[in-house]
Amino acid sequence: MTRSRNLPLAAVVLFVATAASASAHHSFGAEYDANKPITLTGVITKVEWTNPHSFFYLDVKDASGKVSNWKLEGFPPNVLYRTGWKKDVTIKQGDEITVSGWHARDGGNWGHSREVTFKDGKKLFFGPPAGTGDGGNAPSVDVPAK
Amino acid sequence: MSPSRIVLFLAAAALPFIVEGQTAASKIPRAADGKPDLTGVWQGGSSRIGTWEAANAGGGTNATSGQISPFAVRGPQEKAPYQPWAAEKVLESFNRRGIDDPMARCLSPGVPRTTTMGLFPMQIVQTPKTIVMLFEVFHVFRVIPIGVQHPDDLEASFMGDSVGRWEGDTLVVDAIGFNDKTWLAGTGTFHSDKLHVVEKFTRMDENTIAYEVTMEDPAVLTKPWVQHSTIMLRPGTRLREYECAENNTDIGRYEKLLQDETVFRRK
Repeated sequence: MTRSRNLPLAAVVLFVATAASASAHHSFGAEYDANKPITLTGVITKVEWTNPHSFFYLDVKDASGKVSNWKLEGFPPNVLYRTGWKKDVTIKQGDEITVSGWHARDGGNWGHSREVTFKDGKKLFFGPPAGTGDGGNAPSVDVPAK
Repeated sequence: MSPSRIVLFLAAAALPFIVEGQTAASKIPRAADGKPDLTGVWQGGSSRIGTWEAANAGGGTNATSGQISPFAVRGPQEKAPYQPWAAEKVLESFNRRGIDDPMARCLSPGVPRTTTMGLFPMQIVQTPKTIVMLFEVFHVFRVIPIGVQHPDDLEASFMGDSVGRWEGDTLVVDAIGFNDKTWLAGTGTFHSDKLHVVEKFTRMDENTIAYEVTMEDPAVLTKPWVQHSTIMLRPGTRLREYECAENNTDIGRYEKLLQDETVFRRK
């Protein structure tokens, strides 16, 4: 949350934590903090349409005019296609977008993306819900107390 | 309640105890040899009817759209019956948020995890003598000959060796020959090379395969672990490419995280 306060352009959005037990390529929960939602608005500087995950980079300007470049992680191209994205069409360098997601645990300028909002108001998911791949709300086993 | 609704209700209530002959025999697609035809593109780990897009609003991992199959499994699933020492190991993996997931290294997901993974489609190609299952995730496949024994020269592998047989309208797939490098289902659900998996695929209607999997592993489990789910037809979906190793930056990032586990551990 503190990071968001340092970024006046960023508004914190309250997310309802979902019981995401779905399998993903890797644990988003290890790298990203589901308790640190972020929303960033900025200009796309680069898109990496790659496996096992895609990324886009976003120039975000704070109140003083200082620009910082953020890296956002999301679905692989196959999943993006089925979620409504088209490579080189839906998102391009220079586009202004708003993205919601979760901040990296190390506090750097990177995060796990969820929903992208385009200038015309259209919304698409670029990444999975918070916590995907980190085991969900409960382990697969019961361990008796010692 | 109309008679047809009552039939559906009873069928749903009967799960997870599907037995031969319970399907509406006249209503499921059949192959030329009379067996239920499982050919098609499917999504495991789902109970929503419809195209991929209609059934997966939300990005394929937490669908809230689409009508639910009348054969959807209801009620809680059995927890994995690990031996106490093994349960501790699974719990530790959970507490470390699955950072040791073999899939993060682009390794084949194994069985039955590949089948129940909801995010990526699978395709079944059926012939009288062989059933082939193709999975988008990491391009893994299973070639399942019908009515034969396992070879006697197996070497431990990620996807094991599968043979199939028909029991009435149910395809039963028996798989052995696994290594110990995959997870069965959820985070940390490891197994040994003694793993024996028996899966039952029963086409219940146009849209639904009822899936029952029994996992036996005397080295880590106290008894067979049985799980039920549904596999849903996804008309119009085609398998795409998922070349995991292209830009896998996770391992390097994990190594940084692992220098101080308190950063991400649950407890």
